[in-house]
Amino acid sequence: MLKISNLHASVEEKNILKGLDLEIRPGEVHAIMGPNGAGKSTLGYVLSGREGYEVTEGSVEMQGQNLLDLETEERARAGLFLAFQYPVEIPGVSNMEFMKESVNAIREARGEEALSAADFLKKAKEACKQVNLPLDFLKRGVNEGFSGGEKKRNEIMQMILLEPKLCILDESDSGLDIDALQVVAKGVNSQRSPDRSFIVVTHYQRLLDFIEPDFVHILADGKIVKSGDASLAKEVEKTGYAWLGAKGEEKEA
Amino acid sequence: MSQWLEQVIERAEKVSDHLSAKRGEALSLLRQQRWPNRRVEAWKYTSLTPIEQLTLVEGATNQKIADIPAIPGVNSLDLVFCGGRLVTDLSGLSLPKGLNILPLSQAQQQTLSLFASIKPKQHLFGLVNDVLAIDGLLLDIEAGADITQPIRIVYLSQKDSESHNRLLVRVGEGAKVCVIEHALGAQSSLATEFAEYKIEKNAQLEHYRLNLRSGKALDVGGNHFFLDEKAQLNSSLVAFGSDLSRLDVDIVHGGEHANAKFNAIYLLGTGETFDLHSCVEHAVAHGTTEENARGIIGDRAKAVFNGRIHIHRHAQKTLAELNNRNLLLSRRGQVNTKPELEIYADDVKCAHGATVAEIEEKALYYLRSRGISRSQALVMLNYGFIQELIDELPNQALADWLAPMLRSRFEQMEVK
Ligand SMILES: Nc1ncnc2c1ncn2[C@@H]1O[C@H](COP(=O)(O)OP(=O)(O)OP(=O)(O)O)[C@@H](O)[C@H]1O
Ligand SMILES: [Mg+2]
Repeated sequence: MLKISNLHASVEEKNILKGLDLEIRPGEVHAIMGPNGAGKSTLGYVLSGREGYEVTEGSVEMQGQNLLDLETEERARAGLFLAFQYPVEIPGVSNMEFMKESVNAIREARGEEALSAADFLKKAKEACKQVNLPLDFLKRGVNEGFSGGEKKRNEIMQMILLEPKLCILDESDSGLDIDALQVVAKGVNSQRSPDRSFIVVTHYQRLLDFIEPDFVHILADGKIVKSGDASLAKEVEKTGYAWLGAKGEEKEA
Repeated sequence: MSQWLEQVIERAEKVSDHLSAKRGEALSLLRQQRWPNRRVEAWKYTSLTPIEQLTLVEGATNQKIADIPAIPGVNSLDLVFCGGRLVTDLSGLSLPKGLNILPLSQAQQQTLSLFASIKPKQHLFGLVNDVLAIDGLLLDIEAGADITQPIRIVYLSQKDSESHNRLLVRVGEGAKVCVIEHALGAQSSLATEFAEYKIEKNAQLEHYRLNLRSGKALDVGGNHFFLDEKAQLNSSLVAFGSDLSRLDVDIVHGGEHANAKFNAIYLLGTGETFDLHSCVEHAVAHGTTEENARGIIGDRAKAVFNGRIHIHRHAQKTLAELNNRNLLLSRRGQVNTKPELEIYADDVKCAHGATVAEIEEKALYYLRSRGISRSQALVMLNYGFIQELIDELPNQALADWLAPMLRSRFEQMEVK
């Protein structure tokens, strides 16, 4: 599904990713944990092709395609989805208009017909229900005035509607109350399938109780420094990141 | 003085017709004119260099007339100028009752009273038009007439030629009419087209100026309106830019309870210039003005908006709004905006403002990350404020024709 090799990337001349390797097969769920500022969100931005995030070395393949050659929208059409840590508010564009354009852009890329307004509305209503957002959220400006938790649920709703192949969830659990956490986890679990993979970025073991990962990776200072199974997350929860030498060395230097 | 202006004066000295008295007055003003440089307020941000470099000839009629673009569904009565000459055979037209159309050369009495009576004298190119506009039209709408068929004046430029045309319109008491001024062309040329509108008591004018010249077609023109008591003006401007495109709009509230609405849309492609100067004079009480100018400025393009509303001492109970919004698509684009209210009456309600926005990169990225193309995302994020003004155009068929044309112009503009 996804093969990242020796990925180096920088933002404004600052090196953030420093040789990251990661391979994900279809149907797998990989959790990524790691200290603040390690480069987890940067990885998501680089994979989605955000401007200003420059790949200086390495390669990324998604389903055999060179991902780095594609524009942001082409990556999305190829099946990549990033649920943002901080979704943007866009007043003036309704959530409904936004999602309809986006669903139809992706359908078109897959060679499917555009949905009629009525068919889209039906789908959107179902997705709203799945993430427990009232219907009037469709009429509001994209994320405009949404609470932190509502924004996260809106991201998951988009994921459900777009039916991507590879989903990257960047702290989709932070800022959620206990019930919302379950809603998000249920939303994600409902989408799990043998041909869809997930990267779940989180700081807390809690989410992983609901979404069981096949692998857990620790990302620190721009690299994957440790990988393991679900038990690694439990270990981190107990011990924190003090055992990471690199940071300590940096402090001394 | 520039060489070009010297040539204008030389040519003007040879013109002699029934308008000689009026032309002579303009000519003597022109002789005193200094060629404007950047220190002259009216031309502070727009360079006249493209005109200084001109060596053009006056248009000749024997050239083939380009196709006249129809506006589907509008069913207009078309009067066509090509290279400065009227090419429509007026005698072949069947005119609705109450509408009289005369060439400038024949409309002796009415023209004399209208010509240069509404257009202020300070516009340099207006004076040029005074002395050189041999061809032109007078539209006279009789009192009480309701002319339902829109009248369209089409101005076609010819390659390497100059054209100067004048339009005079009297909308008689209680009459109603729609006039569309439609200018186009992209080849190297210069046009001055000035129009004067006298809207009499209770009369209504729906007006469009489609300044769709681009490229090397230089365009300097004016629309000047006089509103008598309870007169209503609804004027819409749609403009592209070219190497030099400038429009001066003057609206005078000369009678009480008149109502003026003026909407302007400009979409400037790479390297284009457009300069809009507008001045609204509230000379009497109880007048209303609503002016909205909105534009998108492409890479290395340049927009100037200078809007002034002047409320005289006796113009109590005036309602006036003046607003200018701009979107810059590139750091190398430029906009100079100056909305001004000058108020000497104390019992008025006025508002004015201007904004300049840039592309929101974060929002653009967010939409694109959901599979929406860059151009579509730009339309969704940034085109709404233009579409709002398109939606306000009173003629639906005209709006339907303009909407896709403007949208595709916007989609072709590059964001840098
Ligand atoms: N535009 C930028 N200019 C300079 N530095 C940046 C920029 N964007 C990100 N960084 C830096 O890159 C590093 C990685 O940031 P990133 O957001 O990827 O961290 P993260 O692992 O997601 O952290 P968190 O857990 O806090 O979300 C940080 O030190 C951050 O300050
Ligand atoms: Mg982050």
